[in-house]
Amino acid sequence: MIPRLFFPYTRILKNKLFSGSVFNLKTSLISLLGLAICVVLYLVTWRTVAYFHAQNELGIILSMKIFQMAWITIFAMLIFSSMITSVSTLYLSKDNELMVASPAGIDELFNMRLITTFFNTSWMVLLFSIPIFAAFGVVFDSGILYWPLLLAAIPATSFTASAIAVVIIIILVYLFPARRTKDIIFYLTLCFGIFLYLIFRLLRPEDLVNPEKYGQFIEYLSAVSNPAGPWLPAGWTANLLSTYLLDQRIDWLLLALIILTPLIIYFLGELAMMRLFLPGFSKSQESFGGHRSFRRPQPKQYRGWQWVFKKETISFLRDSKEWSQFFMIGALVVVYLYNFKVLPLERTFGTTYVANLIAFGNIGLTGFLAASLAARFVYPSIGAEGGAFYLIRNSPMSMKRFLCYKYIFYLIPFTILTIILIGVSNHFLQIDGPMWWISLVTALIICWTVVALALGFGTIFADYNAENRAASMGPGAVMYLFCAITYTLTILLLGFSPTYRLMRSWLWQHKGLPLFDALIILAWGVGMIVLSLLTVYVIYRRASAALKPR
Amino acid sequence: MKPSILKLEKLSKTFDKFTAVNQIDIEVGQGEIFGFLGPNGAGKTTTIKMIAGLLQPTAGDLSIHGHPMSKDPSRCRELTGYIPDRPYLYEKLTGSEYLSFIASLYPQSANGTDFLGRSQEYLNYFDIEEWQDNLIESYSHGMRQKLIMTSIFMLEQPLIVVDEPMVGLDPKSARIVKELFKSKASEGKTVFLSTHSMEIAEELCDRISIIAHGSIVASGTVSELKQEQKHASENLEDLFLQLTGAFELQEVIAALRNNQNDNVLNRTL
Ligand SMILES: Nc1ncnc2c1ncn2[C@@H]1O[C@H](COP(=O)(O)OP(=O)(O)OP(=O)(O)O)[C@@H](O)[C@H]1O
Ligand SMILES: [Mg+2]
Repeated sequence: MIPRLFFPYTRILKNKLFSGSVFNLKTSLISLLGLAICVVLYLVTWRTVAYFHAQNELGIILSMKIFQMAWITIFAMLIFSSMITSVSTLYLSKDNELMVASPAGIDELFNMRLITTFFNTSWMVLLFSIPIFAAFGVVFDSGILYWPLLLAAIPATSFTASAIAVVIIIILVYLFPARRTKDIIFYLTLCFGIFLYLIFRLLRPEDLVNPEKYGQFIEYLSAVSNPAGPWLPAGWTANLLSTYLLDQRIDWLLLALIILTPLIIYFLGELAMMRLFLPGFSKSQESFGGHRSFRRPQPKQYRGWQWVFKKETISFLRDSKEWSQFFMIGALVVVYLYNFKVLPLERTFGTTYVANLIAFGNIGLTGFLAASLAARFVYPSIGAEGGAFYLIRNSPMSMKRFLCYKYIFYLIPFTILTIILIGVSNHFLQIDGPMWWISLVTALIICWTVVALALGFGTIFADYNAENRAASMGPGAVMYLFCAITYTLTILLLGFSPTYRLMRSWLWQHKGLPLFDALIILAWGVGMIVLSLLTVYVIYRRASAALKPR
Repeated sequence: MKPSILKLEKLSKTFDKFTAVNQIDIEVGQGEIFGFLGPNGAGKTTTIKMIAGLLQPTAGDLSIHGHPMSKDPSRCRELTGYIPDRPYLYEKLTGSEYLSFIASLYPQSANGTDFLGRSQEYLNYFDIEEWQDNLIESYSHGMRQKLIMTSIFMLEQPLIVVDEPMVGLDPKSARIVKELFKSKASEGKTVFLSTHSMEIAEELCDRISIIAHGSIVASGTVSELKQEQKHASENLEDLFLQLTGAFELQEVIAALRNNQNDNVLNRTL
């Protein structure tokens, strides 16, 4: 039997998914898509891991190592996004009045908020990481026990992340004086930035590609195969699974840690909730948007676009949940760029060749970064207009106009970010010549398209009255990410051969471009622009159709 | 005196440095309908939120049926049924799903199965029976209000706390709501409501309190209040305006009329 407080959630899900008790078209399309993503992820990982596996011992360990790092980073991000989410779910949900004033116990409320936070933040991670881990299992031809281990360890770790975040938030909201609650998230993000930075410095990814740092190959091997992050729950999971994969041995200590930690944190959280929630909730109503006055606007006639820009900026800056994420982005960018700085380029063979290869791959990474940031900021922006959207709908400004303004507004920061990312990493990689321009132009085109996709999907799937912001990131967001990533990969795959030819003649011959190569690269450029324009046009049409009065 | 159900003693609430509710004392006896009146921003909603246990008082005591809110909040919640001024409804639930969810939250009705029968009765009174299996997002403003009223009445809580109950109801439903409040009171239940309607206060409430700038400026039965006032105005509205400091009202009205005259003048010229 489902606990009573979950009733609205399960029922709303059911009512949304099965309108009229039949599985409707949209639902089946979305689940098919989810399935497709899983299969694709599985196949890609399978191919890659199988390739490494067929090489030598080092290949195996490297592939595992990279995976461990990714998993630990995801864990850190998970904690952070759970913190942001749980401020909304715990303290700002619209149904709080109803639930808190009812006789339902605070412990029940805790269970419900924790579980919903967990699902809201982790479902994407679960969906995407299970096929990847599964591919490892298949390639390594692991024993039958791998599967239950996998299915227990991954959700347990994500749950630990959510629970840690919820406990931190409950304590912080209680501790800080009401007036200062907005500062909490500021400190949180700062801590998170440092945390992320430390993780990366402790893991030292650059050592992976730098065998010469170690005197002996065997030393390198042992350094690389050292367990990653022994003091992090995510490290435990990664180590547990990789130990089992390599030696078919279960590390019982790790397993116990993985299973017990979430339970312990859960009980701690319940304790904190029973003691601290009610005073914290009372405070939070005073402080989030409390009794503060702002400067009065000048009596001036704004143009439409000025008004949209101004409104977006103001509401972003006054919402500490929003602007504080700048720190997270800042930390991400620094970590990202730092990794380029410490890449030991001089010591690897064919420096320029490798640097150019990395610069090309970097286009894709910037694209993914832009896509995920857009998913966080641009995607919810139409839904966030919420109940006030009628103002714009009723105003003389056309919906298409409005979409364009929003698009241009978000384009500015994203463009700047892309230019910084590409410029600085190219600088560290010591790139010059055509690659510099290719990477910048391609990354910008990808970034612009991806932002348009985010806005479009966000409009089509807008949820104007979600109980809280986290709840508004539904399957539409996955669909968006899928499209954005497919688009980025398509551009890059198509571009690989033309860029390679161009770089070859530029690097090794300095003789000028053969006509055929010039044509190919031109075709790629034109193709890229046409594909992007087409994508933007289609999504724009669909989005403005979705805003038409029905 | 009847046993007191709700008791506020020197209750205060301060937001930052702004005092929204300032040392108010209110006592409501069993079976009473108590009206809470006051201009916008006077502190009605803030007080009601404290009674519902959503806001913690800065100072003072609050007890329900003798249980202090500060010590035994869960017992207090079990006794109270509360409707906020802007209630939240799950748009993607149907009316009857919403009602059964609310019922499941309250132990008295979760155990008994007859909440369903009672909810049907009220839905029937309000004429929204045939809508109960539609999603709430398709309801009109008044229908939502009716659904919320149904939820509060079907619960049979000993203390009913409502913030502005009549907003958006058509005359017939408003009449029904009034009658329902009266019948609840005669069953021994206690009603605490805030309102802007003088008519409701006069017709429905056994006693009223008028709050302005966070402090109570008058309380008693409507006829008592009328007598206390020297001018002995027959009209509760005039009384209210006097008590809540509407001295400027005459000037505002005069200024507006002047404007009007000017406009008329301008147009004729
Ligand atoms: N969360 C809050 N933070 C800061 N100040 C608040 C908060 N809630 C209410 N106030 C202030 O407290 C005062 C009383 O507000 P309250 O909502 O109780 O008024 P009210 O009597 O219900 O008015 P109305 O008739 O308009 O509903 C107002 O001045 C308001 O600005
Ligand atoms: Mg109010």
